[in-house]
Amino acid sequence: MMDSRGPVKLCITSGKGGVGKTSLTVNLAYALAANQKRVLIVDGDLGLANVDVLLGLSVDRTIRDVLDGGVDPAQAVAQVSAGVGVLPASSGVPELVNLGPEEQDQLGDLLTAIMVPYDYVLLDTAAGIGPSVLWFNTFTEHNLVITGPDPASLTDAYALIKVLHRDYARDRFHVVVNFVMSEQEAVQIYESLAAVTQRFLDLKPVYLGGIPRDTSVMKAARSQRPFVQQSPAQPAARAVFKLAERIIELA
Amino acid sequence: MTKPADPTLDCPIGQVECSLLQEIRGLRTEVEQLARLSQTDPLTGLFNFRYLIDALHREMERTRRTGLTTGLIMIDLDHFKYVNDIRGHQVGNRALQWCAARWLEVVRKIDVLCRFGGEEFTVILPATRLAQAVRVAERLREKLEISPLPLNPGELPLTASFGVDVFRANEELSPETFVERTDGFLLAAKNQGRNRVCYEESKVLRPATEVTPDERIAFFATRWPRE
Repeated sequence: MMDSRGPVKLCITSGKGGVGKTSLTVNLAYALAANQKRVLIVDGDLGLANVDVLLGLSVDRTIRDVLDGGVDPAQAVAQVSAGVGVLPASSGVPELVNLGPEEQDQLGDLLTAIMVPYDYVLLDTAAGIGPSVLWFNTFTEHNLVITGPDPASLTDAYALIKVLHRDYARDRFHVVVNFVMSEQEAVQIYESLAAVTQRFLDLKPVYLGGIPRDTSVMKAARSQRPFVQQSPAQPAARAVFKLAERIIELA
Repeated sequence: MTKPADPTLDCPIGQVECSLLQEIRGLRTEVEQLARLSQTDPLTGLFNFRYLIDALHREMERTRRTGLTTGLIMIDLDHFKYVNDIRGHQVGNRALQWCAARWLEVVRKIDVLCRFGGEEFTVILPATRLAQAVRVAERLREKLEISPLPLNPGELPLTASFGVDVFRANEELSPETFVERTDGFLLAAKNQGRNRVCYEESKVLRPATEVTPDERIAFFATRWPRE
């Protein structure tokens, strides 16, 4: 059931590229939908979109058509399964990487309008800390930061948290650790990140969970299907189902 | 802003000698000249204070849109009262013109050099980070230091003090407050003995959000589970 507060909005972000933002976004959406939630995926990588690729969608309307061509935003949403809608973005349009203030307002208004029928909105951002990444991160109430177990992605996750906290007063961060060997490893990685954020930013992110390295993930990506659908019993899928439950508990 | 006079302005009914049209052309040229005058300092030919505030409004808005910082340099000639009092106002005026001309040789094409008033000057540096703005200020300072005003006979050494700051997209600041804040660094340059460039050094060395060495060490001190 939807409550009067509207959908729960989560921005999925990482700083570093290649840590699994889009994969997590797509699979989390399906996992939430498996719990009878209605989910809207927004591809926030406006210059180099990927959500459609992971889902094998043939996209004919994107956020760009809505912003530039006056296309009805609801028409641009592709219903990919009973509970999951996707607002795709365009690829190969560098000028969309940095939206000006009016366009950000316009995008904010149209997202607010189309998200009404949904319980959850998952916003997949681009990598980096460019203006659009920061904007999407301030648009949602929750920031889900995904990192790998390596120092580079962890440092980037920290840098992004620091910018969002210092410059935009964000303080509701949730951490997912991808590509881990075990839950114990995920917790350790989270704790090392949390120790640094607590010490230097006086901020404690919430641990959401870890996703194990799992060959079923790549196999599913190659067949352009969510791994939670293609291999629901495999470790990665089971971890994402658990994440979905935690996210439902959050709201 | 006015549009440039349209040289192709033709009489709609095809009259070759139309006095009305001639008058309109004349008025347009006059409006253009007045617009130019209203934003120019007559002594130095630089932009004036009015233009400075307009241009600063525009550049700060650009910063809000693009995230690229706007740099500002506030300049004050050192001991200028002495020049006026001892050498007379004519030499004083020539000194102001001299500085303007020397600095125009070294500012970048995109920079906006203005006469703020009296012996104060301002440079707006569009889309410029603090470290780069400081480099420009240092260049202006050096240029003046090595370019004494030629007098007949002799020459008059000139120096100036500089305050530098930048406006960042997430700041709530008016152009006037930005000028005031930068003026604070100019004051510091004066107090530290003049002929120097002052700015917030910690801002150049480390932006507030940059990951510090201590933070990095904290990460690398982590015992990685796989080791």
